[in-house]
Amino acid sequence: MVVKSFHTDSVKGFRQAWADQTAGGFNPNAVVVFSSVELDLQEIVSFLQPRNVSVFGCSSCGEFLYDEHNQVITEGGLVCLMMALIPGTFEIRLFSGKDQSSFDLGNKVGKWAGDVFEKPAILILGSGLDTDGEQLVRGIQHVAGNDITMFGGLAGDDARFKETFVFSGDKLENNGAIAMAFDTKNYEIHGIATSGWVSIGADKIITHSEGNVVYTIDGQPALDVYKSYLNVRDTDLPEIGVEYPLLIKKAGAPDVLRAVINVDIEKKLLIFAGTVPNGAVVTFSSSPGFEIIEYTRNKVNEFYEMNRETDVLILFSCMARHNALGPTISEEIDEAWKNWGKPLAGFFTYGEIGNNYNASCDFYNETFTMVSLKQKPDVT
Amino acid sequence: MSLKILSFIEELSNMQPPEDFSGLKGSIIDELRKINSEYDKLQFKYERSNKDKNILSSLLTRTSVDLMKVSDNLKIRAEELSTLLATIPAYVYFKDTSLNYMIVNRSFAELAGVASDQIIGKKIQEIFPGYFNHEYIKKEMEVLESGLAKYNIEEEMDLQDKKRWLNSNIAPIRNAENQIIGLIGISWDITERKLHEEQLRESKELAEAGTHAKNEFIASISHEFRTPMAGILGLSEILKNSALTPEQTDLLKGITTSAENLLVLLNDVLDFSAIEAGKMEMDYQPFLLDRVMEDISLVMKMKAAEKSIIFNILTDPGVPNLLIGDSQRLRQIIINLTNNAVKFTEKGKIDVLITRVDQSGNKANLKFEVVDTGIGIPPGSMDSLFRVFSRVRQDKSKLISGTGLGLSICKKLTDLMGGTIGVESMPGKGSTFWFTLPFTLSNLQKNKPDPPLPEETTGFTKKLVLVAEDNVINQRIVSFQLKKMGFEVDMVGDGQEAFEKYHTRVYDLIILDIQMPLMDGYQVAKAIREEEKGTIRHSAIIALTANAMKGDRELYLNAGMDEYVSKPFTYEILQKAISSVIG
Repeated sequence: MVVKSFHTDSVKGFRQAWADQTAGGFNPNAVVVFSSVELDLQEIVSFLQPRNVSVFGCSSCGEFLYDEHNQVITEGGLVCLMMALIPGTFEIRLFSGKDQSSFDLGNKVGKWAGDVFEKPAILILGSGLDTDGEQLVRGIQHVAGNDITMFGGLAGDDARFKETFVFSGDKLENNGAIAMAFDTKNYEIHGIATSGWVSIGADKIITHSEGNVVYTIDGQPALDVYKSYLNVRDTDLPEIGVEYPLLIKKAGAPDVLRAVINVDIEKKLLIFAGTVPNGAVVTFSSSPGFEIIEYTRNKVNEFYEMNRETDVLILFSCMARHNALGPTISEEIDEAWKNWGKPLAGFFTYGEIGNNYNASCDFYNETFTMVSLKQKPDVT
Repeated sequence: MSLKILSFIEELSNMQPPEDFSGLKGSIIDELRKINSEYDKLQFKYERSNKDKNILSSLLTRTSVDLMKVSDNLKIRAEELSTLLATIPAYVYFKDTSLNYMIVNRSFAELAGVASDQIIGKKIQEIFPGYFNHEYIKKEMEVLESGLAKYNIEEEMDLQDKKRWLNSNIAPIRNAENQIIGLIGISWDITERKLHEEQLRESKELAEAGTHAKNEFIASISHEFRTPMAGILGLSEILKNSALTPEQTDLLKGITTSAENLLVLLNDVLDFSAIEAGKMEMDYQPFLLDRVMEDISLVMKMKAAEKSIIFNILTDPGVPNLLIGDSQRLRQIIINLTNNAVKFTEKGKIDVLITRVDQSGNKANLKFEVVDTGIGIPPGSMDSLFRVFSRVRQDKSKLISGTGLGLSICKKLTDLMGGTIGVESMPGKGSTFWFTLPFTLSNLQKNKPDPPLPEETTGFTKKLVLVAEDNVINQRIVSFQLKKMGFEVDMVGDGQEAFEKYHTRVYDLIILDIQMPLMDGYQVAKAIREEEKGTIRHSAIIALTANAMKGDRELYLNAGMDEYVSKPFTYEILQKAISSVIG
């Protein structure tokens, strides 16, 4: 697999970098783009449209690229992976999520993936602030089975929480999903999802919720509970809420974190990045400090020991990690770069999707979710 | 980022050092950049810590308040639990997995007769010497092994001075990791309840025996009554056909009326006791409503005419005619209500109105109203009207004759058939007794003509009948009636004689009384059928019986009878029965 990559901070820069990378006759057929909404995304799509490449892109909340020329973490920029893959071993498709539930959208993705490959693995990006990442995952699994390999994230908009996008080489979609299906006969696809967030405080009960909208916690308006426990103002949410997600205790299963992604100040309700079930037992949670960097580095090293070979790494890191760790977040990304020394691109997300090494897929918040793509050696 | 370092880097970059120091300049700038990067990180950590400190301290404050609330609640719960344990009138104990007592409540200690602290850590055998209920201990072990509670374990405990019955529930106790760490047992003293149960059982047996005896008594007394009644009615009928003076005819009419009234009374008492004993069974068959009403009309028109009262039956055109129901009981209710109407009406008229209340699918509710222009009922008496033995007293001296059973039987019959009954009345103007009953509509023969009435027997002339009857009066009645029908009668006085006669002639019909000396009716019928077995011969046999309780019919038919007639019977009933077997 031939992979080239670049970073830029403008559409003009994007055009130039594209020209530079392809000048020597390099002819990519699959392009991954993570871009800030600061850049004119429509212009990028229009630039790519006539170039006969499959595009897998979304808006971000900060981007990063580690390769032999760059080790950058930016805000307001764009990162791009240009790959020459064996035709017929992958497919990309954009799905609209309008007028349907996230679960139904997932159903369509799952069905499509099953139609294009007998044993597919999926990379998926979702857009739309009301998109319920958990329902999207459940919808895909409902059709494709619980054991399907799947990694991805929800698009961001530089923490504006106004409008997020996914895009192909033809179209920009502010409520939908873009999926890249790989034929697992040709690729090794593995990854990790690790958080490090810890529970704080007493158990609380979700007393009224519908999907990812929480109306009351312990009988009190959800927004009031958040404000009073965190001692913050209306305007501090949802940004602060992202860093102090609810930890949902699941009997007999690992706890999951759900971050606030939107607020209705009038109705005093909170919208989370995934389902928060009615009656669920929850606590607040927080990053326990900068030691979670060490925790993540250990997990990355464990993963490296199990999966030393890769062609390219894609990282979906929660925007809350970036907020919580600031410039020190580079230390956990550095660890991956140092181990494999292969191109690593990614963005800060509003939610992550992934399988922990060979376990079934779930939807997360606050995680460092990384996937490794490796073309199988017997395929040339 | 540190502005000082940055400006230093910038300054350094602009410097033009001598050639020898240019490499060093690059290294210094690189190092300064690293220092700047580390500075950025430290500064972020510092700011971040300050920001986190505020939020975390708020979170921790709120959490400690929450935990205090939880702790307060736990204290209250513990207090409540301890009060509950102290006051609950049950024996409560906690045991560890080795079945040693860990906690017991006050009642338990009192039962054991020792202080609580002397029970803790010990086993049941040490607390109650002589306790060897291995079953109970086995159940405790099962609860610990299975993790499933067991309920309502009853055992009799032999305490030092007395025996007590206990009912116990045992449930496992688990720790936070869901491991079973012991069990809780709650036992209730049910000795008193056990005693009551025993007493109740005995009382119930006694009551059942009493009811049984009462039913037996009524059955036998009805038989005893019916035999002389048959005599009186039968002889009266014979007498009616002989030459009598007008005065004698009047007297005879008096006798007949009295006997008929007595028969009604007898039937009422029988019905009532059958209903009370729960033995009244409804016989749901297809019938024609107009046919039933015609029969009633025939009887009641005559009775009404005797008092110069007009009697009408008015059926709404929407009322279905072919119904499934118990026509006998319907007839009984209407006759009872119309009889009352005739009894309490001196002038005017009696109308029976039949309307359809509702109909859905093949179900219809019909309403029957008996409207009279009689004396009416005082408002205060209406509520009690349908109660047993209730009769309306019109004035201090006059009490209308009757048993007081009729209306209560009507009510019970309508109840049994799923209907309702009621009355509206204005004293001096008249009363309306009404009832509703549900019927199933029969789709059989809907478009066919009415079934023909049993053919009027024009004569059994020259037909030979053998009658076995031990009662001389009944012999005369039956003989008279049969001869009137044209039969040639051979009369015998017991069953054995009947069986002998059976061998001497070929009879067209054999009529057997059930209760006879030497051989009873069943035995004769069985013996005849035994002889006929394997031949084409089948003698027509009718049983005469005084046992009129329902359920007897099957008995006679099983014994080989073709039909049975219950005493006392009229000429018409006997004729109908005969027609049905040899007609």
